[in-house]
Amino acid sequence: MRETIHGNAAGAGIGLRAPHVAEIARARPAAAWLEVHAENYFGGGPGPARLMDLRRDYAVSLHGVGLSLGTAEGLDDGHLRRLAELSARLAPCFVSEHLSWSVANGVYLNDLLPLPYTEEALDVVTRNVAHAQDILGRRILVENPSRYLAFAHSTLTEPEFLAALVRCTGCGILCDVNNVFITCANLGLDADAYLAALPPEAVGEIHLAGHSRVERDGHFLLIDDHASPVAPAVWALYRRALVRFGNVPTLIEWDKDLPALDVLLGEARQAARILDGENDARAA
Amino acid sequence: MPALREVQESFRAALLGGDAVAALGLIAGDDAARAMGFGVYRNNVAASLTDVVAATFPAVRRLVGEGFFAYAANEFIAAHPPRQACLAEYGADFAGFLAAFPPCRDLPYLPDVAQLEWLVNVAAVAPDAPRAAPQDLAAVSAEDAPRIVFALNPALGYLESPFPVERIWRENRTCDGGAVRLDEGGVRLEIGRGGDGIFVRALGAGAFAFRDSLASGADLESAVAQALAAEPGFDPGSALADLFRDGAVAAVIPPSPTQGRNP
Repeated sequence: MRETIHGNAAGAGIGLRAPHVAEIARARPAAAWLEVHAENYFGGGPGPARLMDLRRDYAVSLHGVGLSLGTAEGLDDGHLRRLAELSARLAPCFVSEHLSWSVANGVYLNDLLPLPYTEEALDVVTRNVAHAQDILGRRILVENPSRYLAFAHSTLTEPEFLAALVRCTGCGILCDVNNVFITCANLGLDADAYLAALPPEAVGEIHLAGHSRVERDGHFLLIDDHASPVAPAVWALYRRALVRFGNVPTLIEWDKDLPALDVLLGEARQAARILDGENDARAA
Repeated sequence: MPALREVQESFRAALLGGDAVAALGLIAGDDAARAMGFGVYRNNVAASLTDVVAATFPAVRRLVGEGFFAYAANEFIAAHPPRQACLAEYGADFAGFLAAFPPCRDLPYLPDVAQLEWLVNVAAVAPDAPRAAPQDLAAVSAEDAPRIVFALNPALGYLESPFPVERIWRENRTCDGGAVRLDEGGVRLEIGRGGDGIFVRALGAGAFAFRDSLASGADLESAVAQALAAEPGFDPGSALADLFRDGAVAAVIPPSPTQGRNP
């Protein structure tokens, strides 16, 4: 039974990637919901048409990667308008973007670059998120990025920054638990303290993905490559996140070395089992 | 405390291959940790943008080899970084860049192969457009007809080359291609998107000049003049009918009343 015409996401979904589209369109597997990268559907042709078709059977979340909410010079209104047009056509269950920047001086750097967490940056991101929400006509979720460095002049922690952004704009939080794990490991922070500092009622979606580890001259970094199954330690952190945030819709992301669709759906089933377990625990 | 704009400008410069001293100086931690953390972002930017260029220009990559392509793409990215976040639309300048790139001067056909790949990419990602009908011409008076302009379907592109670039492209797109003789003749190509996906097809001299002129914004009269110059036997009536039959016209734009003709 499918009852997602209303577009509410619940349970565990998967990121929709091009090599899986035909199989999903044919088999209509029991994934709770789908998420797409917004910029892949800005053009015309068969891709957007296939997505609209899938939208009849699945709630779809629109995940932007190019809006650059942290850019000091403000948002690219042309980009924002295209996002708003797609959002109006698709009627997604969520629209989300990242707490990061990728545009400086008009150049798009195609990575989710880190922000210094300062009062000035908070003003910039607040202005940009408020403007985005005005044009989109809806609340957005803002995702914590994976980070490999911290700025010496930051005066706020990342969860403090996100909590302040929620207060200033009314936006929600997309808590990427894998990113929390990576950032905390890379920067020597406590992941549980991080989760405890987020406002639980603002967390509207959770992301999970795989990561890898690189080592050089005795230093190591965890790399957010979305190229493998979710790590056991991230599943464990996810369980603790659900205890704090409740039964939040959860998405599995996998972008490189894409596995067979069944493997990806298996990861989503694992998340769904944990979500159900949390339900039982709360009911008991 | 550095302003956010300065932080981002330091990072932009350093991430695109410039001096990283200012950017590294903003990062917390010891030198090794700073360099390693910054290096992840620098590699992400370089690798992801190179992947974008490689995905749009697979035949160019096959023709010059992976190592040289990575070098050329890197130089291109530094000189013409993307100006928009929709990266399917990145690479319009690559053919022009290759034409002026000294290491490629012995490959005179390469820029045209790149331009063909670019137009194939444009055809793939262009927005869907309405399809005008010949009846839309009925609203235009005979007097205004020469100055009609057509908005062609945005998926359409036109390429003329003295080299057999369509064959070079087809032979180098997916697998190890067969040999193509560079002197086997040039091409006039139309690239677009139809019900069966992307098409690349050869046009005659007259039809090519006609459509290429219209695509550049020429009015009907000057497009016909171009076509007749290219092919004296060109038949404007059937060329116009073909244009509508092919669904090439998105809109008929009659001349505005104020836009009087010079006597």
